[in-house]
Amino acid sequence: MIVMIVGAMLIYGTLDMPKWADPNAPAALHVSPRYIEKTLEETATPNVVTSVLADYRGYDTLGETSVIFTAGISCILLLRKKKRENSGGR
Amino acid sequence: MLDFIISKYNYWMYIILMMLGFYGMIAKKNLIKKVIGMNIFQTAIILFFISTAAKRGATIPIVEHGHGEAVHAIHAIEYVNPLPHVLMLTAIVVMVSTLGVALAILIMIYRRYNTLEEDEILQVKGK
Amino acid sequence: MERIISNSPVLIVVIPLISAFLTLVIGLWKKRLCYPLVIIALSLSVLSSIIMLNTVISKGTIHYYLGNWDPPWGIEYVVDHFNAFIAIIVSFMSLFAAIYAKRSVEQELPEKIVYFYTIFLLLVTGLFGIIVTGDMFNLYVFVEISSLAGYALIAVGGGRAPLASFKYVVMGTIGACFYLIGLGYLYIVTGSLNMGDLRILLPPLYASRVVQTAFVFILIGFGIKIALFPLHTWQPDAYTYAPSVVSVIISTAMAKTFIYALIRLIFSVFTVDFVRLFVPIFDIICWISAIAMIFGSIYAIKQFNLKRMLAYSSIANVGYIVLGIGLSTSTTLGLTPALMHILNHAVMKGCMFMTACAFIYKAGLRDIRDFVGLGRRMPYTCFAFILAALAMIGMPPSVGFVTKWYLIIAALEAGKYIFVAVIFFSTLLMIVYFWNVIEIMYIRPAEKMVGDESRLLTPELTDGGQVRNEIKVDEGPVSMLIPGLVLALLCFVIGIAWISGILSPILKGVNSTFGLGVVS
Repeated sequence: MIVMIVGAMLIYGTLDMPKWADPNAPAALHVSPRYIEKTLEETATPNVVTSVLADYRGYDTLGETSVIFTAGISCILLLRKKKRENSGGR
Repeated sequence: MLDFIISKYNYWMYIILMMLGFYGMIAKKNLIKKVIGMNIFQTAIILFFISTAAKRGATIPIVEHGHGEAVHAIHAIEYVNPLPHVLMLTAIVVMVSTLGVALAILIMIYRRYNTLEEDEILQVKGK
Repeated sequence: MERIISNSPVLIVVIPLISAFLTLVIGLWKKRLCYPLVIIALSLSVLSSIIMLNTVISKGTIHYYLGNWDPPWGIEYVVDHFNAFIAIIVSFMSLFAAIYAKRSVEQELPEKIVYFYTIFLLLVTGLFGIIVTGDMFNLYVFVEISSLAGYALIAVGGGRAPLASFKYVVMGTIGACFYLIGLGYLYIVTGSLNMGDLRILLPPLYASRVVQTAFVFILIGFGIKIALFPLHTWQPDAYTYAPSVVSVIISTAMAKTFIYALIRLIFSVFTVDFVRLFVPIFDIICWISAIAMIFGSIYAIKQFNLKRMLAYSSIANVGYIVLGIGLSTSTTLGLTPALMHILNHAVMKGCMFMTACAFIYKAGLRDIRDFVGLGRRMPYTCFAFILAALAMIGMPPSVGFVTKWYLIIAALEAGKYIFVAVIFFSTLLMIVYFWNVIEIMYIRPAEKMVGDESRLLTPELTDGGQVRNEIKVDEGPVSMLIPGLVLALLCFVIGIAWISGILSPILKGVNSTFGLGVVS
């Protein structure tokens, strides 16, 4: 029931969206052209996805690395079993 | 009307997929099914974002160049929008990490209660 | 020195992050060194947040471009009055929680201390990242860092903690994904991810259904995270079964940070004009918060477990803050009551959770009915509890009184008298449940001891925290006692500070940044 309401809200929201694969959509016109056009001058990387991920938005990649670090240490924290009594202290 | 549906159907498909995952997360009683629903929900969001990056007649966002040659002019309209792809790379990593932590918690629950049905766990008193 | 000051928005995030990594490495090498490292890292964060507040008050908003790329092509950190204020709250509360943590973690999790402190520092990193960022997707990444750390920290408590944490995992992920959906909708129609840029780009699009749907989804997403009324079901279990330090830090720092994120998104991205156009939404928020206030207090009365009672009381207090948000466009006070209650509730609830967990640490007492005669045996801890309880009820000149006063003025100015009645009624309910505890602690005489309650009676009574013999119940250890007492005293000191107007430059700064405080 809740699912229907949420789905209906989402579809209601799409009614005003730009069409699929429209080259003139605002999403493609505002920020992205600079990434594509200047990537060779500013970052010397032909792969635009890499240059955005590592250069223009490199800080997000740092955050993502921290997420992996957090998840890894969380799994160790959660899953480690008690050592048995006769093993040496660490 | 038909034009309307054709221009937007990509969004609707992904919204239906999201709702399937969401239903699984909230309506199912088995904890593993909840985790699977969570995974479907997050994957559908990622696909939704990526579908907004497409452009008709455009190619992948890797600019061809040659070392030291004169580079021809780069038009942004020929390349697919790279920004959602970038955001979704991070989102995929976040999704996998959340899945990992959720499954670690499920292992802890299983070790303690020996079952993964929510009803049975709630009936065990005081453990 | 100049470099440090100008880089302080980034330092406040990076110091805990690097310290988390160093704690892991150093802790695995020598376990004793990781705790001082945590304290040093958090003290440096406190220092950076004070530097940030100073810079903002003297020079205005700080804009910091990461990697020197201009926004909206690069990521930007924006620190204005609101940010600096919340950063100070979070850094001080995390420092107090860390000071408090030493003995409690050693008792509850003896073999996992190093990992615990690592995840604790990562939680604080995530919170600071949320506070200073000016970019929407960066906000999502740091929300996930702090959420993952939170899930792990809650799940290591004993007993039913894994199940409580799993419920929180499912609901928290729904919340974060709703925020991501809202963010995606906004990106589709504007193409930008920067908060300042969206503020400029959105006004022509206010009538579009995409923006309205995005607003609703972002509201619901963060509403789940802050445990606003109908979406609160994860909170009581999570606060009750978490380890002691974790209850302190998530009820004060984490909840306040998500409330900050909600306010920032409502008022900086969708500005006040949008809210006025999209008229009924703030009225709905006010009604939901009123129901939260009453519902939280009624459920708190029925609880016997002290931490569970405090968790329901937190739900009620989040109702107060959201009521302050809901009333902010209709009064001249703007966001003042909401901001006050963010600071005040952090201080009061931090103190109460610290004392409640001191009871558990010393004597294993969770149930209120077992607290008989505790007032004589742990005098300082109970005194701190009483001060905090008085503050929450709203005795002048404590902080609780100040925020209720301002909320009542705001409700009167807005002309919505029903909310004044709701505030009074919920205060009455709060008096009921706190009096329950205080009565049992101090007034009810010890009945005949049955079973294992006799171990609580000691042949000798002590008078402070320095006695170290095998008495089962005496005053709590000093390192747990001092943060609790400091916070309890701060409840009253900060109340006097609010009344005397020392902190009003911050409030004026916030209201002017958001364009509030002017009644249409």
